Amino acid sequence: MAAWARSYWRMSAWDLAALRLYVPVLSAVLMLQGAGFVLGVGLLFSRMPAAAAVFLATGAPVMNLITAGLIFEPQLVAEQRIRGSYEFIQSLPVPRSAAALAWYSVALLTALPAVILTLLTGLARYDLHLAITPMIVPAVMLTCLTGVLIGLAVAHGVTAPMVANLISVTLIFVMTGFSPVAFPASQLPGWLEAANRWLPFGSMATIVRAALVPGGQAGAARAYLVVAAWAAGSALVLAWAQGRRG
Amino acid sequence: MDGDGDTRSWFRVDGVTKVYPNGIRANDGLSLHVAPGEVYGLLGPNGAGKTTLVKQVIGLLKPTSGQIMLGGHDLVADPAAARQLCSYLPQAQVPIDSFRAREAIVLCGLVRGGGRAAVRRRADELIEALDLGEWRDKRGIGLSGGVKRLVGFAMVTVCPGRLVILDEPTNDVDPLRRRLLWEQVRQLGDRGAAVLLVTHNVLEAEKAVDRLAVIDNGTLIAEGTPSAMKAHDRGHLRLQLMIAPGRGAPALPPFAQRSTLVGRNLMTVIGAGDAAAGITWAQQAIAAGLAEEYALSATSLEDAYIELTGHAGQDGDGG
Repeated sequence: MAAWARSYWRMSAWDLAALRLYVPVLSAVLMLQGAGFVLGVGLLFSRMPAAAAVFLATGAPVMNLITAGLIFEPQLVAEQRIRGSYEFIQSLPVPRSAAALAWYSVALLTALPAVILTLLTGLARYDLHLAITPMIVPAVMLTCLTGVLIGLAVAHGVTAPMVANLISVTLIFVMTGFSPVAFPASQLPGWLEAANRWLPFGSMATIVRAALVPGGQAGAARAYLVVAAWAAGSALVLAWAQGRRG
Repeated sequence: MDGDGDTRSWFRVDGVTKVYPNGIRANDGLSLHVAPGEVYGLLGPNGAGKTTLVKQVIGLLKPTSGQIMLGGHDLVADPAAARQLCSYLPQAQVPIDSFRAREAIVLCGLVRGGGRAAVRRRADELIEALDLGEWRDKRGIGLSGGVKRLVGFAMVTVCPGRLVILDEPTNDVDPLRRRLLWEQVRQLGDRGAAVLLVTHNVLEAEKAVDRLAVIDNGTLIAEGTPSAMKAHDRGHLRLQLMIAPGRGAPALPPFAQRSTLVGRNLMTVIGAGDAAAGITWAQQAIAAGLAEEYALSATSLEDAYIELTGHAGQDGDGG
């Protein structure tokens, strides 16, 4: 266990050093994504309804968390595959679980400033008052973890770099336009609403919103189960992909 | 090295065959062994199956059949052990754009499980030995390809595994620092690591390795010490002719035993007794404007390699 913990810390230091030129840029991109979405959607309304403002202000930070996991690792691994350094990284004597957790820690560190800024932007722009509970901690951590694990599964499971990038970008479009992250599921067509009961993104928003909005806990327990199931499933795919040896 | 009695500590590849799902047979019954302290060269043309073998050793590919053992560990059954026991420098550059040179070496040593103080000390020794002091605090993104290559070598060897695999370690490295690097490769062996050197560079391999294998089309076609590999050419000489730009190769003399054309460099092997006739032939070619210069020298490992594979190695012009 001590060796595993040492591997985790040293791999975290490796990832942070490897991305030190990019982490501030990635963080800034996420801030632009979140704050831009919160402010931009508001331009559609002369006065946004309070219920819509709550969905928007609590959904946009979730987009930050999902994007951090879904985009960065697939792009990084795709670049490693193109440059030929993927085998070097994979040959390092680090337990796969420690390496994945190290990457999760870096993704969380990258996303958190954007999550906070996006949330504060929404609160200030729409004059909202939320009731933040301690459940925000597990909600944010699980949401980011699941996003990271889905991203890792795509990154390592799809060996063609271009295809992996396309899949991760497609998932971002699905999150933005076809998942009840920043709007209620009831606004979707019936079939898409039903599908989203089993897809991860809407449930991620549900558990984060449940920790921020008074009385917003409806469906949270089920949403936790759905998100956790996606995390577990993605971890299994990742383990299979990294254990696969042609 | 074959005299080392404790074969349990050896790196052994026994009958390794790798057939990809598309039917390509990349390795076909490969067997070789490397003793601790030995520098073993793996030579072969592009597509010979060298990289496939290396990927199987470090646990990224699984052989279709055969066994890979290192010091009693079955690397096929336990790829995690393969990662612990092997250090691997790939042919591509290591990803160090954001790292400072010394930081990359130290962090890699720590990730490989080294103690902090020992890794720092060894990193400083390697920076000194490879003459990298000028770049120790420079970021990777600003380093030349050759310096990056040396930093990569230091990263892989600062806390080496029992088997160190180096894939074309001298690519892009200047001649002076190549010598420094080869000294460090020898020292790796002296410290007890087995070194598997994958290269096209036959001339450098000849000086650096204790033994070598030549593989082609996935099979091992020759193995032995560089001297043993050249034994076939004893009593022979290499006559090199630099053909003039825009001119074709001159007709070979009847005593030329075999020849290879690499670019404008025509390499022929002749008997030692034909040296005088060979010089006359080369001088006549120069006088006729067909060639610019010639050189007569002892045959090298490269000549043996060309005969075995039908391919000229990298730096096949003797450079």
